[in-house]
Amino acid sequence: MHSQQIHQYLRQFFLESNCAILQDTIDYLTVQLTGEIDKKIMNRPFYWQYIEATNSEPAPATITCITNPAENSIGGVKVHFGSPILHRIFHATRELGSYVQLYETVDDSLGQIILTPWLAINYKVSYCCDCTKETLYSLGINLLTGVMKENFQDSIAIRDLDIEPADHIFHVQPIIKPLRGVERLNAAIQAIIAQEDHKWADEAWRRWQRDQRVLDYFYEDIEEKPEHYVLEKKALAERYTAKIKVDIVNGGVFYLL
Amino acid sequence: MSSEWQNGFLDRLQQHTKWDSWTLYKMNYEITKMQLIPDFTELQAPKYLPQLQPLAHQVEAAETVINRMNGKAILADEVGLGKTIEAGLILKEYLLRGLVKRALILAPASLINQWIEELTMKFHIPATAYKKNVQIERHDVLIMSMDTAKKSPHRERIYAQDYDIIIIDEAHRLKNHKTQVYDFVQGLKKKFCLLLTATPIQNDILEIFYLISLLKPGHLGNYEAFQATFSTNEHADFLKDLVNQVMVRNRRDDTGIEWTSRRVQIVPVQFTEAEREVYDMLSTLEITEPFLRMTLQKEMCSSKEATALTLTKMLDAGVQVEALLNKVMALDVNAKAEKAVEIIEQAKDKVILFTEYRASQLYLQWYLHTKGITSVLFNGKFNKSKRDYMKQLFRDRAQVLIATEAGGEGINLQFCHHVINYDLPWNPMKLEQRIGRVHRLGQEHDVHIYNLAIVNTIEERILERLHTKIDVFEQVIGDLDAILTNLKGAGNHAFTANSSVFTSILSGE
Repeated sequence: MHSQQIHQYLRQFFLESNCAILQDTIDYLTVQLTGEIDKKIMNRPFYWQYIEATNSEPAPATITCITNPAENSIGGVKVHFGSPILHRIFHATRELGSYVQLYETVDDSLGQIILTPWLAINYKVSYCCDCTKETLYSLGINLLTGVMKENFQDSIAIRDLDIEPADHIFHVQPIIKPLRGVERLNAAIQAIIAQEDHKWADEAWRRWQRDQRVLDYFYEDIEEKPEHYVLEKKALAERYTAKIKVDIVNGGVFYLL
Repeated sequence: MSSEWQNGFLDRLQQHTKWDSWTLYKMNYEITKMQLIPDFTELQAPKYLPQLQPLAHQVEAAETVINRMNGKAILADEVGLGKTIEAGLILKEYLLRGLVKRALILAPASLINQWIEELTMKFHIPATAYKKNVQIERHDVLIMSMDTAKKSPHRERIYAQDYDIIIIDEAHRLKNHKTQVYDFVQGLKKKFCLLLTATPIQNDILEIFYLISLLKPGHLGNYEAFQATFSTNEHADFLKDLVNQVMVRNRRDDTGIEWTSRRVQIVPVQFTEAEREVYDMLSTLEITEPFLRMTLQKEMCSSKEATALTLTKMLDAGVQVEALLNKVMALDVNAKAEKAVEIIEQAKDKVILFTEYRASQLYLQWYLHTKGITSVLFNGKFNKSKRDYMKQLFRDRAQVLIATEAGGEGINLQFCHHVINYDLPWNPMKLEQRIGRVHRLGQEHDVHIYNLAIVNTIEERILERLHTKIDVFEQVIGDLDAILTNLKGAGNHAFTANSSVFTSILSGE
């Protein structure tokens, strides 16, 4: 993520979260935060505890985010990929962008239009042993027919969507209840994972067995294995046990053409 | 799969909570995609640390440790190549990958603040120094000194935690398995573990056995098997292979950085007749402890002041050495000190002189003063502010710094490029640490090292022992930069060598 991308990202984030942008130059952004965003990104829990405990008037911070790494003349916080404040802003984005319900906006010259309900969920799948890999899956299910689609997010990202349906638009109520849809997608992601090649897990298992043999050799002649042996054995298990973690990034109900 | 998301979704379906914005939803998806770890091996940390700009060998070391050594390794770069940066990269990588949540770092007390500063400033890893009132369960990255950690009640408090990675700086302190600190580290669970030391072998091949057995018990077999296989040099190559499976070692020459060269010479010194007479008397002295005789011999090779101190103690203890003491005190010329002055005058530049003895240190300051040479004293036990002050005095006011101890983590003196080893230590790594004070990143000149040794004395034996130890180190760990030259080959002439000549002498090519 280069500095212009970060600048753009920040601008968009603050606009969307209702913070007032006081200054926006090529090198930096100065923003008046709302109380909600201050709490999420400024990392000052004691201040907020104090305000709430004393029932005082809060004064959310004004911050200057410097996105040009060469800019040293003004005061503010340098924001680059990996910097702690950007990390917290990413985290806030996650919290504020988890659930949507949207209707596709359609040119009213097309007359009466019927929109179909879809449920979409974006999954992050993490494969962990002594190393990790992650994959993103975007799945959608048609809540009338039960048909599923992969790469769903890419197919809707470009569409015009609105939080309210337009007047001339008629949207069908789901036949499959959204919560039931969630269950079906969860089952689908499990099935997808089950079909993958899990060579990585076999390899981790082999590394584990090899290290276990080395350890056993060290304590070979010792009848009563000492605590260190048990400890190291546990460490090996923690290091090499293959795990697959499925997280939901976000999801929502989409009424689409 | 957690049901947390599902609950929030239900809340919104039932219209208890507002739906989120489409833009933030898309942004969330995009940054998740951007922060995704696309494969098992490629390092992610550098992406998150645009300001760091690690050197190529540091990134490579991190990759090797994570991908080939599965996160358990000895980082054994030569002094001054950035072992801390490598450890920081590895820690950052594991934190990013979610494989490490909690880390414990053990370092010498004098380095704790430096660790905290590097981790927070360079790696954006919030780290806390351990103090009595710190609630350790609240801090994910904790730094403390080994000396504190090994003792009650700290020891028990740490054992009660569950750390994913243990990082130990100056890990050669774990070479002895009979120490409390070894026992303490052995009792820690080591899911991931990094041991940092430039000198994994200092004196004895068993040191590497104990170090690796801590990291990966069984890798070198158990004690009996190790002794049986490796106590002779016969299988040195095999041992080196095994060691290299768990150790990363970069040498200055491998880094691709232009290093100035080391010009190392052994400067043979002849005793005066009077000195020789005293030395011979000391060597034939009737004492029960051979170690004491060796001490006296070594001291006599340094200064009469150092010798007299020990003799006086013996006298106080009732040993009849009065005549000898008088003879020592009557000496009026110190041949080695004269040689040192000669070198200093020829250098016409800043010089660091290392001696093993405090008495010699004081004597040399006086002696240099009589020759019109300015000097400051330096002692490894000085605290940080005194060290900085002495360093400044040396830079601005004095020609010579007379030090008793390199003070391992001591000071960096790149503005100086002459080192006199007035006395030789038994341990070659001590020499390497001394030279490392001046021969490090930032040194612009060739570094001149003068190893003084008095002919036909114990110092020749020390040289031999140093050669043997360097041999062991090179056979098991890898090449060393030049720290000595060969007295036998040099005869009575000063002998200059660079590292390649030195290596070829040692390997007998």
